[in-house]
Amino acid sequence: MSLRTRLFALVSGVVLLTVVLVTLTVSASARRSFATLDAQRTAALVEQFRREFANQGTLVAERVDRVAQSDAVSRIAASRDAAPYVNEATILAAAQGLDVLDLATADGTIVSSAEWPARFGYRSGWITTHVAAVPPAFLQAVELPDETTLALVAVRTLAGGAGNLYIAGGRRLDRKFLQSLVLAPGMRVLLYQNLQPEISSRQLIAGGDEPPEAAALEPLIARVVQSRQETKETIEWPDGPEAIDALPLTGRDGAVLGVLLVGSSGRELAALVSRIRWSGVAFGSLAIALGFVLAFVMSARVTRPVEQLAGAARAVADGDWDVHVDDVGTTGEIKVLADAFGTMTRQLVDHRDRLVQAERVAAWRELARRLAHELKNPLFPLRITIDNLRRAKSLSPAEFDEVFDESLTTLQTGLGNLNTVIGRFSDFARMPAPEFAQVSVNDIVEQSASLFRAQLTSPGHPPVTLTLDLDPSLGPVRGDGEQLRRVVQNLMLNAIDAMPQGGGLRIVTRRRDGVVRIDVADTGHGLGEEERRRLFTPYYTTKQHGTGLGLAIVQSVVADHAGKIWVDSDPGRGATFHIELPA
Amino acid sequence: MRHANALAYEGLVAVDGSGLLRPALATSWDSDAAGRRWTFRLRHAVKLHDGSTLEPPQIAAVLRDVHGDWQISADGDALTIDPGREMSDLPWQLADSSNAMAIRQGANAAVGSGPFRIERVAAGLIVLRAHDDYWDSRPFLDAVEVRTGRSPADQLTDVETGRADIVSIQPTDVRRIEQRQLRIESSGSLELVALAFEPQLATAASQAIRRTLAAAIDRAAIARVVLQGRAEPANALLPEWVSGYAPFVFEGKAAPLSRSAVVALPATQRMLALRVTPSDPVAQAVAQRIAVNARDAGFVVNVQAPAGLGPRFDLRLLRLSFRAAGPPQALSDLMAGIAPRILTLLGRATRPDASASLEDVLLTERALLAADIIVPVVHVPELYAVGPRAQSWNEPAVLPSGAWNLANVWLNAP
Repeated sequence: MSLRTRLFALVSGVVLLTVVLVTLTVSASARRSFATLDAQRTAALVEQFRREFANQGTLVAERVDRVAQSDAVSRIAASRDAAPYVNEATILAAAQGLDVLDLATADGTIVSSAEWPARFGYRSGWITTHVAAVPPAFLQAVELPDETTLALVAVRTLAGGAGNLYIAGGRRLDRKFLQSLVLAPGMRVLLYQNLQPEISSRQLIAGGDEPPEAAALEPLIARVVQSRQETKETIEWPDGPEAIDALPLTGRDGAVLGVLLVGSSGRELAALVSRIRWSGVAFGSLAIALGFVLAFVMSARVTRPVEQLAGAARAVADGDWDVHVDDVGTTGEIKVLADAFGTMTRQLVDHRDRLVQAERVAAWRELARRLAHELKNPLFPLRITIDNLRRAKSLSPAEFDEVFDESLTTLQTGLGNLNTVIGRFSDFARMPAPEFAQVSVNDIVEQSASLFRAQLTSPGHPPVTLTLDLDPSLGPVRGDGEQLRRVVQNLMLNAIDAMPQGGGLRIVTRRRDGVVRIDVADTGHGLGEEERRRLFTPYYTTKQHGTGLGLAIVQSVVADHAGKIWVDSDPGRGATFHIELPA
Repeated sequence: MRHANALAYEGLVAVDGSGLLRPALATSWDSDAAGRRWTFRLRHAVKLHDGSTLEPPQIAAVLRDVHGDWQISADGDALTIDPGREMSDLPWQLADSSNAMAIRQGANAAVGSGPFRIERVAAGLIVLRAHDDYWDSRPFLDAVEVRTGRSPADQLTDVETGRADIVSIQPTDVRRIEQRQLRIESSGSLELVALAFEPQLATAASQAIRRTLAAAIDRAAIARVVLQGRAEPANALLPEWVSGYAPFVFEGKAAPLSRSAVVALPATQRMLALRVTPSDPVAQAVAQRIAVNARDAGFVVNVQAPAGLGPRFDLRLLRLSFRAAGPPQALSDLMAGIAPRILTLLGRATRPDASASLEDVLLTERALLAADIIVPVVHVPELYAVGPRAQSWNEPAVLPSGAWNLANVWLNAP
């Protein structure tokens, strides 16, 4: 992982961690605040309901009082025939804004009913039931034509000529009543009418238009009905939690007739937390983007000089010693490091130049020495021949002629040798560029081997065993067949020369990792450290009559084929030349 | 329009305020012992609205137009009618407005001899003018405006505010009219409120259900309370004052089901939908009470009053009007209000002829009620609220037959 990546990850991580911590802290704080607020407004709504319930009770009682005091009711109480008054309750209820109004005789027989006009003549059980300490108004289950409902009712009695007349009136606890409660946003009120033997969601009334999801509330309602105690519970809906405060609503005999459910939705809190989280995500993303920019800027100031130094070091390793890192655009330790690197490369270049110069001088000396050596040998017989001729002037003409002819022959031979020496040097200087084609290394090896095999097996020649170990899957290589043949023959010739007492010559070809390798191994006297080091230097030779150009030409050809050559050897243990060519 | 025509066109006889026949264009009548040949003595010098005198041949011609199979002859002031069979209630038939004397002379409109002549007919308005030469003295009123098409609520307001002197009302309005200190006049029962079961509950297997529901209805409470004592419990299709025979319909029938037996019935048989006309408060009030009675017996009756096409229903509340023109005609009128498919179920698709005997009427009515598919509930009269200005002489302003007796009405000065 690069320094820039690490810097980017570090900066982004720090910023992201900060944002996450802030988000979590704000979320937790919001949750606590909402919980407190929720508890307060739920308590306020419950208190509001209780007040509204009490106010409605007082209002109902007052209105029933007014009905009881009306002339119409007085006439009904005084009349023995109630038939004309069958619709009177409807009129009185409408006048007093009551949903429920029943006028009943002392035995509970309904004379007139506003909520169910057709029910006259039937008895109502609860109107005439005596209960001690009756509040001004109480909760009562009231029968309607199609259903039974809850109503807040008050009962009054009026004495008349035909006995007592009971006046029972009230208002329904229905959706309209629930809608009269002022709700804070996110709150709702449900009323469960406990009028069936079993808990049924059909008895649930909502203040709003949306149908209440009742199934999840049934266990809570059942607990409140059973315990008759206010109970709080949080219901998990698909769209969020809702804290519900359930209050039992009892009738005048203490029975739980209804359950008021005050719900405070956690959806707003969930929405707020969600908004905070999304804000956190947004800020985190922004922070990451800023971190990226910051990391980029930092890398421009910190990592770029380091990368420049690293690049320069790689260039130096690759042989480019002229690289400079003088202008890194920074200060401090990186600047010192860059300066030191610059100094180092300059010194290396100086050393390399001096070394090249020294090697060049040494090469020239070696060339001069070899040239002097090569020329000195042919020149010596020439000088002796010339001295012989000078001395032969004193001989008889016949003897002089004989000496003269021998001298001419010797001079021609000496000059020919000089010409040969000069030609070899000229050949090395004129090494042609390879002509590349697809050639088979195995074929070259086998052809070269067959060339030498006759020589090796000729009588009088030291016994040399030639062994070929060729890889049949070697395949062709791109190369100059003639030059490569010359390489192989040169190595084989050197190997044979290294084994004057005979031995073993083994040639191996292999294809491995995209290269073709040729190993030429002998069991000769081997090479010393100095010999191995200077072996490929032109005009260096360990042989009596060698020009020192053979291995130099071999190295030149291998280099022209983008390959490499080296030698493994120890004195007395033979030598192995390794050549690798691109496949 | 029927009542207005009755003021302009008279018959040979009429129904008086006591519900009895009284002379009109005929001063007297009698028949032979078999009741097959009737002789009517015609009133002299009766003036028609155009000033001409009503002649006996004109009367005979009108009756021949209505009853082509009758033998009718006029001889001086005597008009002889031979219907071809025994017809003991012939005078009652002649009291019906269908036998009123509407004399056509050429292309002119028909003229009558009644106390008022029709002066103008327009949309929602009929103007009647007093017939100065009326044989029974000129009416007190110079003219009468009859407005039609008014809603019941508007009519109540009209009579309460003095914009109208006589308006028709519903039984459910009686209490309000009485509280306004207004007079109520009524006809004899001219309407039957009844239940009619639909075919899915008209099978023989469902008769116990129908019988139980019929027995559960508290007819007396409906008549006395819901309809404010202005109706009579009905145990037959025709009221006794029309048919002349006592109720019979529940004689010899099996006992109804107990409540527990009803509760044990399948929901499709126990939960019934009762259809009523949405704009009829009387029908709705009666239906609601029937629902309460049915609930007491174990049924669940849902009263439907859909404005358009409603859901399927099991029984319907019918209001069947009939004319006080003798039992056959009254029964025929009643049957005209019953859906033919119901009558077909009952095997009585043919309505009785106006000349049918009382026995035929009795048998037909018994057949209609035998299966409890038609269940009589109450008989209801036509009711009118009469304003404080309107007074009548000797007889009420509305006769038992439902006819308006406006010839005897006058208005007090405001």
